[in-house]
Amino acid sequence: MAAARCWKLVSRGRGLSLHTAAEAASTATESTSTDVATTPVARYPPIVASLTAKSKAARLRRVERWQATVHAAQSVDEKLRILTKMQFMKYMVYPQTFALNADRWYQGFTKTVYLSGLPSPPVEPEAPLDLGALRDAACDSLLQEHFYLRRRRRAPLREEPETVVSPFLDQLVVALMGLLSPQNPVLASASVDFKRPVHFYWLRGEEIIPGGHRKYDKPNNQIRIPKQLPEFVPLDYSVPVEIPVMKCKPDKLPLFKRQYENSIFIGSKTADPCCYGHTQFHLLPDKLKREKLLKQNRADQIEVVFRANAIASLFAWTGAQAMYQGFWSEADVTRPFVSQGVITDGKYFSFFCYQLNTLALTAQADQNNPRKNVCWGTQSKPLYETIEGNNVKGFNDDVLLQMVHFLLNKPREDRPQVLES
Amino acid sequence: MAASGYSSRGTLIGMALASRPAQRAFLGSGQLGFGACGIPRREAYEWGVRSTRKPEPPPLDRVYEIPGLEPITYAGKMHFVPGLARPVFPPWDRGWKHPRYHRSPPIHEQPLYKEEPCYIFHQRCRLLEGVKQALWLTKTKLIEGLPEKVSSLVDEQQNHIENQDERVLNIISHARLWHSMEDIPKRETYCPIIVDSLLQLCKSQILKYPSVARRICAKNHSLSAAWTRESVLLQVRGTSGIRLSAKDPLPPIASREEVEATRNHVLETFYPISPTIDLQECHVYDLKDDTGFQEGYPYPYPHTLYLMETADLQPHRFHPEQLRAKMILFAFGSALAQARLLYGDSKVLEQPIVVQSVGTDGRVFQFLVLQLNTTDLASNEGIKNLVWVDSDQLLYRHFWCRPVIKKKVVVNLITAPGMLLWSVGHHFVLQRQPCHPTHHPTLDLPAFIPAAPPQLPVLFSEAFWPIPALPCVREPVGPVDFQPETFRKFLALYLHGCPEP
Repeated sequence: MAAARCWKLVSRGRGLSLHTAAEAASTATESTSTDVATTPVARYPPIVASLTAKSKAARLRRVERWQATVHAAQSVDEKLRILTKMQFMKYMVYPQTFALNADRWYQGFTKTVYLSGLPSPPVEPEAPLDLGALRDAACDSLLQEHFYLRRRRRAPLREEPETVVSPFLDQLVVALMGLLSPQNPVLASASVDFKRPVHFYWLRGEEIIPGGHRKYDKPNNQIRIPKQLPEFVPLDYSVPVEIPVMKCKPDKLPLFKRQYENSIFIGSKTADPCCYGHTQFHLLPDKLKREKLLKQNRADQIEVVFRANAIASLFAWTGAQAMYQGFWSEADVTRPFVSQGVITDGKYFSFFCYQLNTLALTAQADQNNPRKNVCWGTQSKPLYETIEGNNVKGFNDDVLLQMVHFLLNKPREDRPQVLES
Repeated sequence: MAASGYSSRGTLIGMALASRPAQRAFLGSGQLGFGACGIPRREAYEWGVRSTRKPEPPPLDRVYEIPGLEPITYAGKMHFVPGLARPVFPPWDRGWKHPRYHRSPPIHEQPLYKEEPCYIFHQRCRLLEGVKQALWLTKTKLIEGLPEKVSSLVDEQQNHIENQDERVLNIISHARLWHSMEDIPKRETYCPIIVDSLLQLCKSQILKYPSVARRICAKNHSLSAAWTRESVLLQVRGTSGIRLSAKDPLPPIASREEVEATRNHVLETFYPISPTIDLQECHVYDLKDDTGFQEGYPYPYPHTLYLMETADLQPHRFHPEQLRAKMILFAFGSALAQARLLYGDSKVLEQPIVVQSVGTDGRVFQFLVLQLNTTDLASNEGIKNLVWVDSDQLLYRHFWCRPVIKKKVVVNLITAPGMLLWSVGHHFVLQRQPCHPTHHPTLDLPAFIPAAPPQLPVLFSEAFWPIPALPCVREPVGPVDFQPETFRKFLALYLHGCPEP
């Protein structure tokens, strides 16, 4: 009768079928009665935390289950959907911000190391550049927008970036791409976006101050190519420079929280074959002008504005490119993603290169992650001094050369000579 | 419509546009009515809803109507007095010009007022008679199809870009679907993206045609050209689309003999409709010829004008006929302004000026080449200008942003002895067939296996039970009926004028 009693208890409690309950009961009675050493195979299901309890363990288990669905997703679109479908209150990060010392904050958010000076170009251009033609093209675009073109309404000064500088940048990018495409064939198959938004959403933070960040950015132009640019430094390159750690909440920056759609977008959807980025061109708005900052006695923030814009925009762009390839914070990148950026306010240009080495920025993934993202950058230099009538005075060839070098950067397969030598 | 002013700076005073949809499209969303903005528009005070109308000013006292009488008012008392007349004050003058509170003087007092009206064609003018009217206004003869020189460029194999079709298909998909986060992007975004991307693709031919580098695009330029046709003053003004300018002029297309032969051509009239219908009549205007660029511009010759119809709603967009008329007039305006600049006025040109134009709404393309032979446009006789038009070229017939999935369900029900109702999807067929009762092999039930109905094939032999559907994708995502010829013509028009490699 004891065995029968055990059997009934087991069947009611566990809800197992008749056969397995009988087996379990019989083995239990056998083991207790015979006192043999432990059986080699576990007969009980693993003991795990509950799924629905209000406890940290249950929450961890739910998070793991969600991460398992992301790992198991078949296509990139599905992965992105699962990662972004839950909306929480998150900080909105604006690359073009008036906040003081925003670049240090953004370095902390994106785990980026900033190095001044650009990385050495991997290869010198093979054919000599026709600098005269390039300079003429740049001057023509400049003069057309500033002087020659008679517009219907003369735009007020505060709208000058959109009405004058933005078309000039568009013209410049298109003209330079056209002139340089014989030397860099990837430019001929590249796709140029004009003012397409770039979105990125990432989680960074400790348990005490959890925070997702969402970045919304509209670069003036961006060039996307079908193949990836080569890396500047190896993936696990460790830079001795420290990343600034901010001791305050991000709200102090100021950063504000909103809750609405999360999205990840590089400028075009996942189906586009041109899914890797080449160069972005950003235009600083009127309220972040140099003259304004100088009048407010904030001359040191001029460079900060450029750097903050570059770090945030390029991190988001490379991060979104990596997510389009299926990487995310639990599945870190296996190859570095590289992009270049040019930030300008119409006269002053500064150049940045960004290499994304890691996407694992969540508290859980960052515990043993030695990799850091790297951003190289220059100070801002003027392209010209003044424009008087139909003359450009003081044209600076170095700035133009730097832009040309940026545009001549090619994916690795197009450089057979380098591999051989 | 009341006459409105058009000053030399090109600002439109008053709102006397021809048609309501054009007016709405022109004004945009800022004037949607008081519900949208909260404050009634100024016009609402004059004619609008009674609840928002400003109260009528009280009528003047009778004493003002009697001449010779000096009315005694309470102006000096600084407050109302019952027996005295209401004072009439002169309108308050601020003393300086405030940009926000500028009231234009009445039309007759404006400095540029002229008795003779001028009919202005701007970018939202929809001509009633379309191309016929445009031809009359510009004294032009129409030739269907693109000219020989351009057609030969279309067919030449060496002009083709590698993977041309694949790249154009990518451009179409990018513009129609990929570039934005929305499920179905709107025409306002995808139309300019298609034109920009196609131009970018054409520009990549710089390897074979280095003179492509001697061109530049410009947006937001403002054109103005004026001429007389049979003692009617006409003007073209406006800014529209992208203008591709070049350092070298396009060579003339028609030979001298063909130009001379146009003397015999008679322009088609459309009496009783006046040729100036749908043009904006102005009494305040400035007659000037302005190419849109200052002197000394390094790219002085207009090469091609790209006009885009980007309105989302179909009534706001131009019809193809109206778009072609607009293209003719704007191309003619650019050519005329250029000719006046180079050669002066009113003569037959030794070197005819050629300007091209491409008009599109993102899917249908219109191509046009105009050759200006003469600036002597006052009379109907003499040499005419020539225009070659290739109309309604589809780049693709349709674009599916989402896949079209149809579920096919094969259901076979017995309705009456000897009658069968077949249904596949939404199609039903009632059939009377002699059926042979047999036994269902597995389920031990009688089954009827009829012969197949005439239209539908027998898909399943056990045709008794409804069989669940498998969704099948009838149309995948992407363009439908892509025509590569259209892009070849686009490329040919772009490369026209480049010397042979």
